[in-house]
Amino acid sequence: MTLLLALAVLGTLLAGTLFAAVLDRTALPLVAAFGRQRVETEAPDRMNRDLAPAWYLALAAVGLSVVPFAPGLALIDSPVGIVIWGACEALTVVTVFLHGWSPNAPFPLIGAYRYAAIGLPVMLPSMFVLIAAALPAESLSLVAIVESQREIWNVVRQPLGLPLFLVVALALTLRGPMDYADAADIASGTSAEDSGPARAAWQVARLAMLVSVSAIAATVFLGGPLGPVLPGPVWLWLKTAVLMALIVWLGDRVARTTPSRMLGILWVVLLPLSFLDLVISGVLAL
Amino acid sequence: MAVTRFGSLAARAPVPIFAAIGPGRQADVERLLARRGLRRAHSPRDAAVLLVSGDLPDDMLEALSRVHAQLPHPRATVRWIDETADEIADRLRDAWHDLCAGVTDEEDRLPDVPPNEWKGVGPHGQGGEGMMGGTPYGRSMAMTGPDIRDGLQLDRYTARIGPFAPMLPPGLVLEVTLQGDVICDATVANAAFAQPAGADAPELCAGRVVRLLGLEAAADRLIEGKRPGAVWLRGAVPSGLGLAEGTEARGRLGAWLAGEVVTVAPVDLPDFLEGAEWSEAALLLASLPPSAIIRATRPTEVA
Repeated sequence: MTLLLALAVLGTLLAGTLFAAVLDRTALPLVAAFGRQRVETEAPDRMNRDLAPAWYLALAAVGLSVVPFAPGLALIDSPVGIVIWGACEALTVVTVFLHGWSPNAPFPLIGAYRYAAIGLPVMLPSMFVLIAAALPAESLSLVAIVESQREIWNVVRQPLGLPLFLVVALALTLRGPMDYADAADIASGTSAEDSGPARAAWQVARLAMLVSVSAIAATVFLGGPLGPVLPGPVWLWLKTAVLMALIVWLGDRVARTTPSRMLGILWVVLLPLSFLDLVISGVLAL
Repeated sequence: MAVTRFGSLAARAPVPIFAAIGPGRQADVERLLARRGLRRAHSPRDAAVLLVSGDLPDDMLEALSRVHAQLPHPRATVRWIDETADEIADRLRDAWHDLCAGVTDEEDRLPDVPPNEWKGVGPHGQGGEGMMGGTPYGRSMAMTGPDIRDGLQLDRYTARIGPFAPMLPPGLVLEVTLQGDVICDATVANAAFAQPAGADAPELCAGRVVRLLGLEAAADRLIEGKRPGAVWLRGAVPSGLGLAEGTEARGRLGAWLAGEVVTVAPVDLPDFLEGAEWSEAALLLASLPPSAIIRATRPTEVA
């Protein structure tokens, strides 16, 4: 069974990444990039340059491994699944920072520091909405959180949760309004010096993270594998695909403001909203 | 066989183009790159074809060669002198197909040597103080200086950005001193290239701002004369940014989105930029019509 679940995680990650590339219309550019030269910058931090896309991909895979593919059935059925995912989120900030740090060039470094500044206030609402989702389940396990949604999905019970988590998803996948690491004003920031396979690998890892974060959102807010008629994994895949399309759509349709203004919005508006979400969920769970 | 199949698949991707825009060609190039099948590369590293448009002044040729050297191999250069946009689009596609088929490539035009030697003052000889500052081998190093916001001693980094930087008006070379991404000092090292009035067209001006807001597809739609299909465009521009003659960046974007031409009297550009964060500075420059940028950066001619 473990082998089957491991295959399910890998298969989902692979198929999901392909689906993400199609949604993003980057499939052909990615293929083209793999055939081009990888230019080395002057005095780069080679280890971190090579490790950054690998970490990003690994964090996406670890995040997906705690997702239940059928009720009661996850590859890593941890009693603290939410915390494992939280660690993946926090380490994503470190990974993106290392990606910007490693080429030894000014624009990537600006992107790296910007993302670190934005990352913290993004992680905080994320933790609060995830803890709010854990309250009705009385457990930090994602399997238990799925069970707690048999009567009613969290997206209905905690209406603030999913919208706030979508902001987190945009930030984790470096997309549209929350893409402060690879922004246009710094010539694609942490990726500015990437070329050829290195550039493609970073983009693939970014798409893989989209699969993971969507699967987590589907599990925590949309009941994950719960649903009539169809088997559990199919429901999870369908819900994940819908959320992926929604996140890509938002990324293409919502403008990005300046970093300092977004910091204000995150601390002053989104963080209190996530508190409110936690308070409402807490009162309802009593 | 596998190589050719891979190449033919890659050749179907949009052509990744980095544009070095010369005098008078900004509007043409912006309209060209909004076409389907052509893609504006985010940086030279992301590009395969260098599009050189217009007659570049001689003192810009070294900068052009440096941009050329930043494109990964295999790469090609396409010069746009007086062909129509359709002809040049075909030439760009042909150049990309040749690159994917592996039949063409271009060598560096400059020798791969540092712009200057490791020399200067200071104990380590790199030209700064202690182990900081200076420009060893032409690479500027950070040096501490008072922070312009609270006076604490923080690292300052001075760099020249332009004349082909994708986030700046074509031709403009800014020498900026940054602390983090806050501009403490800005001087115009080279004026923006002259552009005809066509570059002030509302859809092009709106496209420039919207691109900086992270909406590539919306910017292309605007340039093609369609609705942007995106939300929070005006709202994303901070209010109070780029106040000139009673209009601010947000208001100018609103006017452009409504299809109105905006004229702005010359502004004092360095004064405008100092104290702004880099992202604000880029947004601010994009929120000025090219005619205003050109007048602001050109030295006043003495009668």
